[in-house]
Amino acid sequence: MWSVHRQILILATDEQLEVTMQIISMTKVRKDYPLGETTVSALKGVNFAVEAGDLLSVVGPSGSGKTTLLNIIGCIDRPTSGAVSIAGQDITTMSDDALTDLRLYTVGFIFQTFNLIPVLDVLENVEFPLLLMKENKLSKAEIKERAEHLIEEVGLTQQLKQRPAELSGGQRQRVAIARALVTNPKIVLADEPTANLDSDTGHKILELMRRLNEQHKTTFVFSTHDPDVLQYARHVVKIRDGLIAEDAPVLERKRSRTGAKTTK
Amino acid sequence: MKIAFTIAARNLLRHKGKSLVIGAILFLGALIMTLGNAVIGGMNRGLRENIVERFTGHIVVISDAQENPNILFTPMGKDIALIKNFDRVKGVLTGQQQIAGFVPAGRGFSLVLTEEGDIDFAMLLGVDFPAYNAMFKENVKLVEGKLLGPQERGMLVSQGRRTRFFNDQNIWLKPAGFSIEEKNFSDEAKKYREKMIVKDSLVLMGASGDSTAFDVRADIKGIVRYEFLDDYWKFFNIMDIETFRECFQWVTSTDAAQNIKADTKALMAPSENLDALFNESTVVSSNVGKAEISKSLKKLKQKSAEQKVFTDAGAYNVVFVKLKEGYDIDKGVRELNAAFKAAEAPAQAVTWQKAIGQLGDMAGIIRGALIGFVFFIFFVAIIIIMNTLSMAALERTAELGMMRAVGAQKRFVTWMFLIETACLALLFGGLGILLGSLSVPVLKAMKITAENNILQLLFGGKTFAPYLSAGDIMFGVAELAWVTIMAAIYPIIVARRITPLDAISRD
Repeated sequence: MWSVHRQILILATDEQLEVTMQIISMTKVRKDYPLGETTVSALKGVNFAVEAGDLLSVVGPSGSGKTTLLNIIGCIDRPTSGAVSIAGQDITTMSDDALTDLRLYTVGFIFQTFNLIPVLDVLENVEFPLLLMKENKLSKAEIKERAEHLIEEVGLTQQLKQRPAELSGGQRQRVAIARALVTNPKIVLADEPTANLDSDTGHKILELMRRLNEQHKTTFVFSTHDPDVLQYARHVVKIRDGLIAEDAPVLERKRSRTGAKTTK
Repeated sequence: MKIAFTIAARNLLRHKGKSLVIGAILFLGALIMTLGNAVIGGMNRGLRENIVERFTGHIVVISDAQENPNILFTPMGKDIALIKNFDRVKGVLTGQQQIAGFVPAGRGFSLVLTEEGDIDFAMLLGVDFPAYNAMFKENVKLVEGKLLGPQERGMLVSQGRRTRFFNDQNIWLKPAGFSIEEKNFSDEAKKYREKMIVKDSLVLMGASGDSTAFDVRADIKGIVRYEFLDDYWKFFNIMDIETFRECFQWVTSTDAAQNIKADTKALMAPSENLDALFNESTVVSSNVGKAEISKSLKKLKQKSAEQKVFTDAGAYNVVFVKLKEGYDIDKGVRELNAAFKAAEAPAQAVTWQKAIGQLGDMAGIIRGALIGFVFFIFFVAIIIIMNTLSMAALERTAELGMMRAVGAQKRFVTWMFLIETACLALLFGGLGILLGSLSVPVLKAMKITAENNILQLLFGGKTFAPYLSAGDIMFGVAELAWVTIMAAIYPIIVARRITPLDAISRD
């Protein structure tokens, strides 16, 4: 049943994207967490859309709801209410298996702490998502070729057979980026990708993300509270107290600082 | 799935400490299980070899009137019913293809009267001895004197019973026509050598419900012991079936008339006035009514007439039956009972386990305890492995959550954990089974003997002879697989519950 669902999902994604160009769409999304006898609202009715190929940064102070927003976009959390469409699919009604497949085929993740599989080397870590694929499965040689190509793009060809423990923080994050891109996802989500890196390495990583965004036209959504990171984004969404406070292209934001308020 | 194997195998190497702890438990569990199975196998084999092959046969046939099938170890040798119309029973037994052989016997509890005025008892087994010993693999071994020949009258006293008899009566039994063999003296006999009374015959009086009137003197032809499980069989003294029948008054009226000894007849002949024997000084008036006496006499007469019919056809109360090699005992019992019913033969067939009663129960309890012990070991192993793997799953929350985030389905996690546990089970459990299997012939070669009754039952004989068949090894592998799956179920549930969100929360 789920595999049929997945096939439909894959077909729908490509077709629908051409029509709408909106790869992420959120309408009146709430996310409440029970905390003892009270309820804490992380998102309080967010309306939000991202066009395909964007390089978007979600900014906001700690506890503002940006990680929750990213988790919902990444299909690893469900909203309490509201509608969420990812690559043309309504994720609020999807089964766990279907969501997992959506993550595999459509979303790439870059975690804050470079979560890699410790027992696999760089090449195997990058190959991992491809090995999980059942539909459009590539041959062993194709998997290797694609993984090696991405490793080369992130500049780790020399570290191909090294395990995560033998890599620096920056190198690990590069592996995570390569792994996130290896399935040719429509969206790559990065939650504070530079938080655990020194500023020089952080900038290199962001530069890499921007380059890959331009080359592959992959939509990048990353969260940060580092103002320096913002210069790499083409679109910035400010979030505060569970609500979108500002949503504008970088140029418009610059104008808004001079007086013209254009955001919703 | 190759990637699941790769991750599982490398994780085992990465967490060597945990792997070794789980591996050691699996190794010990598998080793104990294999040895336990070998002991159980040896016990089953030993009991089959030593009881079925050497004492009871696979099936025991008794009278259909016999309520309790435990006819060999009944408390105080309780009387067992006679098989009526034995010729018909014999006809059925002879016509069964599945039967390899059978030996009819009389089993009875007899009083032993001593000239010193004391009374003891003896369990008797009346048989055609050469046929009996041939069927039961020469289990009866001679200690002193000689064994009974064909149609030879006399008895074979077990060595164990002789020791007990001396302890109770101070009488040392020896075979008639043979001298005392002091080397066979028990410790008590050596101690009280001076006061020892030596006898080579016993006066026996069958202690059945109906026949306590006759006593017979039986010559002791030999002192014997049972090669296997002597501690259990030593209560049985073997005698020829004719003497046994006389002892229990299983005789026809003709036989009874013929058996009146010449000196008795001589005493009876000159007594012209027999009434003189019952003078006033010897007769005490009874308050039993005349009608009652005649009723009792009528009953006795009727009983005697009934007895005549079946004893003339050969009187036995037990038949030991051996089935052909590999024939299912329960099936044999069912078939035999159906055949008895069809032939209107008044007998019933029971399994050897039922016929040996408490002994069979005790063996069953020991076997059950052993199986219980093996399962307890596994239960403990399952708990420890389950706990260790669950902890390992929780420690790997970030890794597992990330795998789920990038698209690994729950079944991938299930496989990964199953493979990890299966690898450990295969390696360490396999080693345990291998070592256990290799230990079995070594333990057997050590020929460890036991004097203790319970241990003898556990060993299935006097010598520890663990036995492991290919089927037992396969069963062990299946048990190990079961343990592996049982131990992995909960950790897998824990691992499957880990979500990508848990991994992020962990950050």
